[in-house]
Amino acid sequence: MLLIDADVHESFAGIRDLVPYLKEPYREWIERGAWRGFSQPFAYTSPGAGNRADVRNADGSASVSDYGVMRRQLLDTYNQTYAVLTGYFYPTMLKLQYGLSSALAAAYNDYVAEHWLAKDKRFIGSIQINARDPEAAAREIDRMAAHPQIKQVMLPVVDDIAYGHPMYRPIFEAAERHKLVIALHHTILAEGPFGMGLHYIERHTLLPTSMMAEVISLILNGVFDGYPSLRFIILEGGFSWLPHLMWRMDREYRQGRVEVPWVKKLPSQHMRERLRFSTQPAEDLTGDQWLKLIDLMGSDEFLVFSTDYPHFDFDDPRVSIPRSLPDDLQEKIFWKNGAALYGLEAPVQ
Amino acid sequence: MTRHRVCGVSEVASNAMKPFAMGRGTVLLTRLPSGEIKAVGSRCPHQGANLEHGCVTGHAYSDQPNVLLMDRPGQILRCPWHGFEFDLSSGESVADHGKLRLRRFNVEIEGDDVFIVM
Ligand code: FES
Repeated sequence: MLLIDADVHESFAGIRDLVPYLKEPYREWIERGAWRGFSQPFAYTSPGAGNRADVRNADGSASVSDYGVMRRQLLDTYNQTYAVLTGYFYPTMLKLQYGLSSALAAAYNDYVAEHWLAKDKRFIGSIQINARDPEAAAREIDRMAAHPQIKQVMLPVVDDIAYGHPMYRPIFEAAERHKLVIALHHTILAEGPFGMGLHYIERHTLLPTSMMAEVISLILNGVFDGYPSLRFIILEGGFSWLPHLMWRMDREYRQGRVEVPWVKKLPSQHMRERLRFSTQPAEDLTGDQWLKLIDLMGSDEFLVFSTDYPHFDFDDPRVSIPRSLPDDLQEKIFWKNGAALYGLEAPVQ
Repeated sequence: MTRHRVCGVSEVASNAMKPFAMGRGTVLLTRLPSGEIKAVGSRCPHQGANLEHGCVTGHAYSDQPNVLLMDRPGQILRCPWHGFEFDLSSGESVADHGKLRLRRFNVEIEGDDVFIVM
């Protein structure tokens, strides 16, 4: 079966890998250790410290940046047709020094193009940006969009940005101009409504609420209406909450449309037409629960399979999506929905 | 087909939903800015609020976030409970293009009298 994996996290071994791609003065800053990269404000509790513990180099050390390991453990093992690289180095997390942040985004994009995209035609690329400087982000999108494997822009979900704010419009304009998908993914700063809680397990359980907040912000502030050909995917943010949000937002819209009349459709209609979700973490639903949920969503075109490799909460495509689901539904989840979103065709054998 | 005289023409107000008895029930009448008189059922199709207490207003529209504009004054009825909007001309809900709609009655004017035709 054809298979698109919508959320695969490539990485570098260390921030210094970006040095050759950085412009001055930031090259010199990173070279002399002025900044050592992001560090999560919590400890991972999984055996592999955030990654699957079996993602290892030949010498037994943890692998974070090895294409060969990824090819063997992911692309070849599961015979993936395409794997969408989504990174986990999101310069938007820097809250100051926007010039450095934008330069890091550009350097990372060039690093990924050379060290990942160029190595395997199965990779689909994402453009990393510094969303805090939307004009610079738009220029970076313009710079990278011509790459034939690049199909989307990553919007990282941090703790102080909801992307419906008008200041982010240049990012959406640029993405629409280049027919790129907008992908939202959490970061190590993403929070729930009362912060991260007191435990990693709280923080991880809360992640979908940050995605709900982004969807609410994007739709009610007119991003879906203002950029009518733009399409969105929520990565690793859950999807079983979608029926609730559709019902809630439709009800709110029926009673409160007068405040946001630039929204021209029921929010649920916007979602059905333009919003997609990656499946991981698939919450261990039974086949019956999947079917009920898809019925409540009102469409079988929302879901796009993802593994989240190499992270510890990885979903195995052979198990996480129940084999009892009808063949045509499995084909949509594994292939058709993602192919339609990214404009991909089956490779010629 | 039955005809009920419900009121005199001068009793119908603009920008308000006035109740008049019709048989054992009630019908609400209002006058659109065009002068046309509209008659609708008094119960909201959502949860049944009495639309007599609703607010007759205009149509909020915009093509630009954070810019609010209003047209079609006196042509939209908002329910007194949850504020759903109904187009008094078509009876349709504004937000979801008519999935909910007001109960409408045909109005005939004869001299000074307003009739509902059923
Ligand atoms: S009862 Fe009228 S809008 Fe709910």
